[in-house]
Amino acid sequence: MVNVTADSNKPQEKTVNMSPWAIARRKFFRNKLAMISSFFLLAIMIVSFLAPYITTQDISRVNIGQMSLEPGGEHILGTDKAGRDVFTRLLYGGRISLVVGISCTALVILFGTLVGSIAGYYGGNIDTMLMRFTDFVLTFPFLVFVIVLNTILFGIVDGLWVLIAAISLLSWGGVARIVRSKILAEKENEYILAAISIGCKPSAVIIKHLLPNVLSTIIVQATILFATLIVAESALGFLGIGVPQSIPSWGNMLTASQEADVLRNKPWIWMPPAIILTVTILSINFIGEGLKDALNPKSFR
Amino acid sequence: MSTTETKQAIRQDGKVVKDTLLDIRNLKTYYPVKGGFLKRTVGHVKAVDNISFEIKKGETLGLVGESGCGKSTTGRTILRLLKPTEGQIIFDGKDITNITGAELRKARRDFQMVFQDPYASLNPTQSVGSIISEPIRNFEKRNKEELKEEVLELLSRVGLPPEAYDKYGHEFSGGQRQRIGIARALALKPKLIIADEPVSALDVSVQSQVLNLLKELQGEFDLTYLFIAHDLSVVKHMSDRIGVMYLGNMVEIASNESLYAEPLHPYTQALISAIPEADPKKKKERIVLQGDVPSPQNPPTGCAFHTRCPMAKEECSKVKPVLKEVKPGHQVACILY
Repeated sequence: MVNVTADSNKPQEKTVNMSPWAIARRKFFRNKLAMISSFFLLAIMIVSFLAPYITTQDISRVNIGQMSLEPGGEHILGTDKAGRDVFTRLLYGGRISLVVGISCTALVILFGTLVGSIAGYYGGNIDTMLMRFTDFVLTFPFLVFVIVLNTILFGIVDGLWVLIAAISLLSWGGVARIVRSKILAEKENEYILAAISIGCKPSAVIIKHLLPNVLSTIIVQATILFATLIVAESALGFLGIGVPQSIPSWGNMLTASQEADVLRNKPWIWMPPAIILTVTILSINFIGEGLKDALNPKSFR
Repeated sequence: MSTTETKQAIRQDGKVVKDTLLDIRNLKTYYPVKGGFLKRTVGHVKAVDNISFEIKKGETLGLVGESGCGKSTTGRTILRLLKPTEGQIIFDGKDITNITGAELRKARRDFQMVFQDPYASLNPTQSVGSIISEPIRNFEKRNKEELKEEVLELLSRVGLPPEAYDKYGHEFSGGQRQRIGIARALALKPKLIIADEPVSALDVSVQSQVLNLLKELQGEFDLTYLFIAHDLSVVKHMSDRIGVMYLGNMVEIASNESLYAEPLHPYTQALISAIPEADPKKKKERIVLQGDVPSPQNPPTGCAFHTRCPMAKEECSKVKPVLKEVKPGHQVACILY
């Protein structure tokens, strides 16, 4: 809190015509930890999506002659028990983990916001119906549902999309509740009455007036969700029910550590995905934290 | 609705309305009170309980009463921001009590509102230009330059510099924000503006500026005001006629002069006796009301005011007085008259 007085002694910077968003952006850019995390995450994304240009190793070809090689030489991070290059699989795995994370987050936020804002704005019976449906979805057992969906849709739809659909369908409940509660509080403001009285349609009131004012909460929720969903994907991969084994993901690369021999004696097989996963999650959380500070009008930093 | 068929609306009691912009008949707005495990309605807060009045074109009707008496609810119900429980709202010869959806949205361009809290009534994520142009964009197709010109014209009309166009609400003071709110209400050139305590959140020094602005605009744009306030001096300054509300009921309506010179209802008398006198030598008797305002969920039987009335008689708790004209243009709801 000492910083606060020091900051207020600085000459006032020009704050002409700053929208609340511009102010938040500036606050975020000043947050070092969040900025470092953002660059790190960006780097991970770029490297993952450019994987085919960085490494030319085959991700799925089993090579009996090169099983469990230690790091060094041709294989920077060694090879796994099937003789596949760990570094290559790590890059391609990042692709899967990030794609699952991003698309699930997008779907979850979209659906959760839709349900939450409609329930919150209209209230009454619509609210009751939507929120009881939300409760119903929230009580679904996650693992069982994913396994069943995976089994039913196996072979019909690409495994990755089944996973994304299953995770998204089960995870929007929390967002819907948060958005609803925020909308409930926000719609008591007189500017919502003003919006109605100047002839805005209900959809315009929600999209133009309510959502921009709860967007900060939604953005922060999205970053937290992004981290959670990457972990969820990894957990499923670890258990062997996520993405098919032929496609590497950080989660199913960790499956190897289920063997005591690998866990104890061959750390190069499971450490890289574990470390990169942890650091990625950590950086996403720092970004979330930074966004929360930047978007909170009451924070000083 | 049979009332909307003819050009001149006919009230439920058969009278033809002339020169009346707004005619309120037996308006009731109840808020349901939910309780118990199943959230059933266990009672109603009678925020507006059977009030009737009319506003002529071009006049200002002031509405006074203490906090929680239903003034704001009355205003919001007239604008159909709340659903009336019963009664009729006839605006400019058209019954707007039960219209909904697109029809209601279309009707809204003729009646606008200036809100009480200048800090909560502007969307913090919108620029001033966007706030003021939004009502126009909702009703008409305009190109960008025309729209901006119109907004700048409105800004100058309410006494704000053109630079305000690109700024955001949080960069202005309370009085300036209220001017933005007034510009937004004016944007559609409405016939009626309901001002819901427009100056009660402002500094006294700014209050008079905003009040005078409202008065100037009334002449210029041919406006009719329903002016809601709890400050008697503000209402006196603004209004042609004044209605006094108590616990969801209209207890007295009279012209400005008549009400201040000769208040008839005991509640009005108590209110007016509470206005501080500028001359300290002038001694006047203050009527101090005993007790609190009863709960609007369970209002007293008979006259709602009898529990605090210094002149209450026995019948007061049995007979509910109706508003009747005791002098030309002076209506009061009290069994004493």
